[in-house]
Amino acid sequence: MSGEATAASAAGAANGTSASLMVEGLVAGYGGVTALDGVTVTADAAGITAVLGANGAGKTTLLRAVSGMIRPRSGRILLADHNVTGRSPEQIVRAGIAHVPEGQGVIPELTVEENLRIGMMSWRGKRAARAAAVEEEYARFKPLADRRRKLASTLSGGERQMLVIARALLARPRVLLLDEPSLGLAPRVMAQVMDLVVRLSREHGLTIVLVEQNARAALAIADHGVVLNLGRVVASADAATLAADVALRHHYLGF
Amino acid sequence: MVEFLQFTLSGIVFGMIYAAIALSLVLIWRGTRLLNFAQGGMAMFTTYVAIEVIYKTHSYWAGFVVALLAGLVLGAACELTVIRPTVGKPQLNAVIVTIGLLIFLEGLAGILFGGQFRSFPAAFSIIGLRVGGTPIGVSRFDVFVVVAVLVTTLVLAVAFRYTAAGLRMRAAAFNATIARLSGIRVARVLTVGWALAGLLGALAGVLVSPSTFLYPNSMDAIFVYGFTAAVIGGLDSPVGAVVGGLILGVVLSYAGGYVGGSVGSDLTSLVALGILVAVLMLRPEGLFGGARMRRV
Repeated sequence: MSGEATAASAAGAANGTSASLMVEGLVAGYGGVTALDGVTVTADAAGITAVLGANGAGKTTLLRAVSGMIRPRSGRILLADHNVTGRSPEQIVRAGIAHVPEGQGVIPELTVEENLRIGMMSWRGKRAARAAAVEEEYARFKPLADRRRKLASTLSGGERQMLVIARALLARPRVLLLDEPSLGLAPRVMAQVMDLVVRLSREHGLTIVLVEQNARAALAIADHGVVLNLGRVVASADAATLAADVALRHHYLGF
Repeated sequence: MVEFLQFTLSGIVFGMIYAAIALSLVLIWRGTRLLNFAQGGMAMFTTYVAIEVIYKTHSYWAGFVVALLAGLVLGAACELTVIRPTVGKPQLNAVIVTIGLLIFLEGLAGILFGGQFRSFPAAFSIIGLRVGGTPIGVSRFDVFVVVAVLVTTLVLAVAFRYTAAGLRMRAAAFNATIARLSGIRVARVLTVGWALAGLLGALAGVLVSPSTFLYPNSMDAIFVYGFTAAVIGGLDSPVGAVVGGLILGVVLSYAGGYVGGSVGSDLTSLVALGILVAVLMLRPEGLFGGARMRRV
């Protein structure tokens, strides 16, 4: 199903080929609460899929279930047609899915470089290969290069977002799950982050699942959009179609 | 003046032992937010292992090395068997499990090794050194105690700072979620943390036992002092554990030394308790503690 096998560029983040991500009939929750009730989402290989919806719609739970942070009660998760349902987060990263959690998930007590090195913990590579990979990210994110020995707590919001994305890329994922990457960023910085997301998809063949409160910004760059409401999919269509659907926008997306 | 020097130096020696226990508590606390009440019991048990090996082989160093290895194994085994099942359950479960583990280890030691007081050999002479004819209150063995704890601490500090395994441990301690999402096997990291804590405890047990005798409860008081030292430093901070150990060691040495007699030795535990209460009331985050905000 992941038909187009886009070759990764040398500087790319993909390990080999692009891969699709399919979530089928996923049911998941916390304790007695069902946060996802039979959710089916397909993220095409090398595309950007926006997952939209109000607070409590189940967007973050969807990402947490895919990355193994919570165990689904039923349903399947397929990465390039391989079943990865029920694996632990450590295994999911190795399978090729990287999850950037909400809230600029840097570890402030560690230096910028240490935060990056954490991204390569799933590698078996040699020291030189690791050093080269880190330099690649510094080339991609120049502001990080100047602050590599500084504690991550000294970074600005935009720099933190760069750092977590760089760290996720170092895990050499084929699918990148981004949870609210624009949260709390100034509009100009947010535009840079969105621009980066587009480049990762178009130039490096990364499959991206983008969870966003800011539906307008997300649909502007996405290929496909999925709208969740109270744990169910209420709409799934081309991003352009969703953006043009006035009733849906008013009802679920608030713009 | 000479007295002051003697009390200070011997306080530093005991302080280093408290520091080793405090460090072992900090290691586990940072990884799991769990206070390991069994730490003293584990140290007592490995010290019994050491004494048995010393009797069999007539080699102090064989016993010393075996005790440290036993500490590693015992720490990892405790984590894998009784602590791992409490993960994800209420925090109190794990605390009670460590108390149960303490009682179990002390009971098992009584059954296997007997309850009587046993003397434990020292690696070097315990006769006080003299400088120009004046006793300075420390022996060759005391010097070894300080060096052994310092070297172990430095090796651990360097490993934590500069190795991939150390980075994994720090990342898992600061933010287990991010660590797991990055592919770090946090469960394995915790096992290693317990193993290292077991090693530090074993070191403390072997170093303190020549001056306390060895019996199933012999490490209880040392555990309390180590815990106090860890709280002084702020349970989060390895540097704080060492500094806290030294402060406590010196203060207790003055209290015991200047008051003197049986009152003095009774006074030390009271003073330790006083310090513990004072720190918890006035500065609960400790001297080096992380009251800092953690943004995740």
